[in-house]
Amino acid sequence: MLARALFAACVLLMSSFTAPPAARAQEITVFAAASLQNALEEIGTVYKQRTGHNAKYSFAASSALARQIEQGAPAAVFASADEQWMDYLQQRKLIVDATRKQLLGNSLVLVVPAGSKAQVDLKPGFDFATVLGSDGRWVTGDPGNVPVGRYAQEALTSLGAWDFAQTRLVRAENVRVALAFVERGEAAAGIVYSTDAALTQKVRVAGTFPASSHKPVTYPFAVVAQHDDPTAREFLAFLEKDEAKAIFRKYGFVVH
Amino acid sequence: MLTSVELNALRLSLQIALVAVIASLPFAVAVAWLLARRTFVGKTLLDAIVFLPLVLPPVVIGYFLLVLLGTKGPIGGWLYETFGVRLIFTRWGAAVAAAVMSFPLMVRSIRLALEAVDRGLEFAARTLGASRFDVFFSVTLPLMLPGIVTGSIVAFATALGDFGATITFVGNVEGETQTLSLAIYSLTQTPDGDAAALRLVVISLVLALGALFVSEMLARRVRRMLGRA
Repeated sequence: MLARALFAACVLLMSSFTAPPAARAQEITVFAAASLQNALEEIGTVYKQRTGHNAKYSFAASSALARQIEQGAPAAVFASADEQWMDYLQQRKLIVDATRKQLLGNSLVLVVPAGSKAQVDLKPGFDFATVLGSDGRWVTGDPGNVPVGRYAQEALTSLGAWDFAQTRLVRAENVRVALAFVERGEAAAGIVYSTDAALTQKVRVAGTFPASSHKPVTYPFAVVAQHDDPTAREFLAFLEKDEAKAIFRKYGFVVH
Repeated sequence: MLTSVELNALRLSLQIALVAVIASLPFAVAVAWLLARRTFVGKTLLDAIVFLPLVLPPVVIGYFLLVLLGTKGPIGGWLYETFGVRLIFTRWGAAVAAAVMSFPLMVRSIRLALEAVDRGLEFAARTLGASRFDVFFSVTLPLMLPGIVTGSIVAFATALGDFGATITFVGNVEGETQTLSLAIYSLTQTPDGDAAALRLVVISLVLALGALFVSEMLARRVRRMLGRA
């Protein structure tokens, strides 16, 4: 009796496993940098209302996504948080060069947990040690590969604080994981984008890195060569419409 | 041959796994004894809790540890305020994560060994005048040894390979929590990191196979010793 019920439950569960997607509504898979999550999800809802197509997202560090696309992941559109990872794919002929567009910009900030009173003037020679305290650590995306970490390393190096900072660094998989550690109060500070800091009350911006201290934060978008089709191009075109731009601006992105 | 980052990861992995196994051994023996020899209210619950790390997604375990043992958590906060001890972002936290993940395997191995011990021998020792304490250390424990050895080594190999719980709880801190698994993860995301990642993968394989081989050898040797005794 129980065995039969279990068997029926399994059959029911697996029945939708290989079902083809609904004929009319098309699905498009978009791989996008973690910092774009909130804006793109909202745009996805509007996109569905306007065109009936479904945008399926995978948000992660641009490095992880680029490596997945290199291994053949079925993404139709890729949005990176820096030019280097888009260049990486372009060099390997994995994107449609003609569709590559720089859509957005952002700025880099130093955040601290909401309860902290730290305020710092981010200029050469600034005192990072005081912000962190005697045993505090700061967190950002892994500077070895995650865009926000690379920008952070660049900015701290140009301000002369990298040698010290490196000894207290916690490497996160992406900028949102870094943000979460600061939100919890476990990390004494973090370097994230201003758009991420704006999303939560649990962190405070202690200072904004001068634009001259790092390469400009830009978000290139492109269609992936393996999945170049009209829906992909249509989605990319939709992101340049006023409606989508307004949503990006709402979240604090600089729209080019 | 190996860069300093890779050597750090290797050394750290071995140290953390060793600390994890040694620290949890007495608890594993105690819990295994409770589950094998005693009946009490809540025994099934204890059994379930002990085996939770085996069935829950590792990231969930890491999350629980983060919430409980982070410096803003109930236990972690108390540790930090009273002793200045911090577990998150440190090798000690990594050892805790590894210990929690390998605990069920250790307990299971030890419990099986305990259940296989001939109670007749224990009773005989008691009739000859040995105290319960004495019986445990001179009769039961030696007979359990193969199970304890196997359990420890399997737990060591599991602790070596932990990823989800470690990265969620203590993060990726080079030189402090970046074990082999975390280092490989970082390298696979880095452009041109494939060669280094492969080196570490081979090292991990060698360590895991070595651990299993040693476990088999040791268990066999102990069984032979007991057979003769």
